[in-house]
Amino acid sequence: MTDRGISRREFAKSAVAIGGTAALAACLDRGTPDVPEGTDDIASLPARQHAWNDALATDDAGNPRMARHHVLLLLDYERDGRPTDGDRRQVEDALSTLEQAYEWSNDGLLFTLGYGPTYFDRFEANPAGVDVPEPKALAPFEDPEPDTPDALLHLASDHESVVLAAEEALKGTRKTVNDHEMSTTFEGVLSVADRRTGFVGTGLPAEKQDVDGIPDSEPVPEEAPLFMGFKSGFKGNQATEDRVTVDAGPFAGGATQHLSFIRLHLQQWYEQDSREQRVSKMFCPAHADEGKVEGVGENLGTDSAIEECPEDAVESGRREGVVGHSQKLSRAREDDSPTILRRDFDSTDGGEAGLHFLSLQQSIEDFVATREAMNGTDVAENSAVGQRTNNGILQYMTVERRGNYLLPPRNLRALPPADPA
Amino acid sequence: MNRRRFLASTGLAGASLVAGCGSFQSQSTRSPPLVENRPDATYRPTHVEGMGMAGMAQAGDYMVGLGYSFPHRFWTVTGTDTERVDIRDADSIHLMATVWDPETEMVLPISAGVAITIERDGETVDEKSPWPMISQSMGFHYGDNYELDGDGLYTVRVRVNAVSDRRLGAFAGRFDDAAETSVEFDFAQSALDELSYEAFSETQGERGAVDLMEMSMRPVSQTPVADELPGTLLGTKKGSDGVYAATWLSEADFLADGESYLAVSVRTPYNRVPLPMMSLDGTVETGGETVFDDALGAALHPDLGYHYGAVVETAESDPSVGVDVVAPSQTSRHEGYETAFLATPSFSF
Ligand code: HEM
Repeated sequence: MTDRGISRREFAKSAVAIGGTAALAACLDRGTPDVPEGTDDIASLPARQHAWNDALATDDAGNPRMARHHVLLLLDYERDGRPTDGDRRQVEDALSTLEQAYEWSNDGLLFTLGYGPTYFDRFEANPAGVDVPEPKALAPFEDPEPDTPDALLHLASDHESVVLAAEEALKGTRKTVNDHEMSTTFEGVLSVADRRTGFVGTGLPAEKQDVDGIPDSEPVPEEAPLFMGFKSGFKGNQATEDRVTVDAGPFAGGATQHLSFIRLHLQQWYEQDSREQRVSKMFCPAHADEGKVEGVGENLGTDSAIEECPEDAVESGRREGVVGHSQKLSRAREDDSPTILRRDFDSTDGGEAGLHFLSLQQSIEDFVATREAMNGTDVAENSAVGQRTNNGILQYMTVERRGNYLLPPRNLRALPPADPA
Repeated sequence: MNRRRFLASTGLAGASLVAGCGSFQSQSTRSPPLVENRPDATYRPTHVEGMGMAGMAQAGDYMVGLGYSFPHRFWTVTGTDTERVDIRDADSIHLMATVWDPETEMVLPISAGVAITIERDGETVDEKSPWPMISQSMGFHYGDNYELDGDGLYTVRVRVNAVSDRRLGAFAGRFDDAAETSVEFDFAQSALDELSYEAFSETQGERGAVDLMEMSMRPVSQTPVADELPGTLLGTKKGSDGVYAATWLSEADFLADGESYLAVSVRTPYNRVPLPMMSLDGTVETGGETVFDDALGAALHPDLGYHYGAVVETAESDPSVGVDVVAPSQTSRHEGYETAFLATPSFSF
């Protein structure tokens, strides 16, 4: 029996979630990590901003392991009309200072800077060769707010102090990063319209589970990399970086990015559903029957063994009364591979359990088609599976926001024109 | 920060001492032990509780009624398995949302369901999408146990998702949109404690059901009496304790020339509560020829109610019909329904 009157947990909001110079100072008080330095030789860095996989650590099974801490800055360009060369130089210089200061890796800093439809409006033209549509609702049962900043900066590192310092340095509230002097900042050019934060990796969700959306029984397992208790992002269930890269036109080498904010409601998931039900809903009922998933799913190795789930999700759903998330999603594959590269992470922003679902794909259409597969509207039709009940994990989540961006290749990342040709 | 954790709960509802032979045993009177040897069928539960109204409001095309009672144990269903959900200490009430069409007063099962957020002073107290659920006394509704912060005024926000099932006849083109509404709910533990509680110590476990509760504020969810279904009644069969009424419509405003409609209305025995969220297959033969062999999809019609059906390309009027249950109703169950309607029988009419 638990006594609701006394919390045995202390709500420790993480430094990254709080943000700012004070949080950074507090974080550094706990010890300054030894962070590897970057490079002056920009040519030695990958031409693709999203080329992270080779720079990430790998887990025991050999999957790329995402950096643990994340900051998303939704940025507005402060000037009306088209960007000036001076502004471009300032943005580029600020970013290359970060590259000089930090190794391009999870132990240093990884980042991308993308641009939304609002940014391209100033050119009265769409970005050449890539469609970056305004975000819209992607399911009949969702009603998301569109995100409309000009730009989206994604900072990622295994070190909280690194993402915080990089953020403060760009905002101009900190002069140095990893003992490198900032030559310039985003000040006067890009201002922060919204700030979101998150984390992914073993131990972090359990540590941060004292939030709305997760019951007081502390159900999130210690080993879980994500709040829902399962490992995600196996190598074999991700698009390759090549697959998500724009392959023609002036933005070749770039990618499109979709960012949604999803709130999680996990009381039913953890306190009402059995382990069997959870495995059925996350993977597929066959995985539950066969005990395919142990613990958080490390035993799966480098893929979720999705080929062992019945391929026809509609037929399987009709028979089983339940359909798995991965089972549904695998229908969106092309040439046997997913078309989106998921780089999502959990969040406690606003004191609520959430997920920043960030994904890369060659075209936003790939994301839309993938999300349609997830909706499982076809599975629910003529079947015992509800539109949300027993339909993957839809029962436990609400999409609150959506935004679409273009990640230009590295050489065009600073306030690009709509048609750089 | 999560304020609900810092507010002490208002005591355990219904915990009481029951004198045993020479010993004192503590047990919750609201959740007496389950009946032993429950039949694989609808049975009289250990008890039935009254319901208070938290409020009602219109949301777009829909009316939403919110009722509450003591926290309940119930069973979720995945496939042919049930999973018992026990009452937690933190649970304050069982909240039940009923959605109906104000024009026909028909209770609408909606595949995408409803989402409920309970707020107080602008802060979220609890939030989840209740399960589609059936109860002998309350019929079909959306329900779950929710936490509150004790007595006071709450705002209960309800989002009703759009209906995705086929809508026929006068329902065509209706319920296309989601809608939201909110209800101000003045909760008092004393009012909850005063709700009626009737134990069936003599009859619990017997095959049968308690009556649907009639409330002036909201309609009851009942399928039509089989004889009153539109069309020609092909028969009424029973399987896994569910009642299957099949009817054949040769004429309807949603049918073209040369088309007929097969409708199967699946309901609980005794109370005729609809059993939504099933997978059904159907076959139709006329004159020795198979004219239909496919899934029967869920649909809403003002006179047929919630049913499973398909348009069949034939003008013949005496079909032989086969119905296969591929998966049973995935609605959650209140006590007395959790052992029934879980198998996958087949029928011919
Ligand atoms: C609530 C948040 C979510 C969680 C916890 C989650 C978790 C998972 C897990 C555990 C897997 C199986 C392991 C793996 O393949 O890596 C998976 C697969 C997948 N998920 Fe999610 N997911 C979430 C939301 C989404 C969303 C919003 C999308 C995109 C619309 C998505 C797309 C995918 C795809 C494409 C796969 C791989 C399917 C394949 O193998 O082809 N997920 N997810």
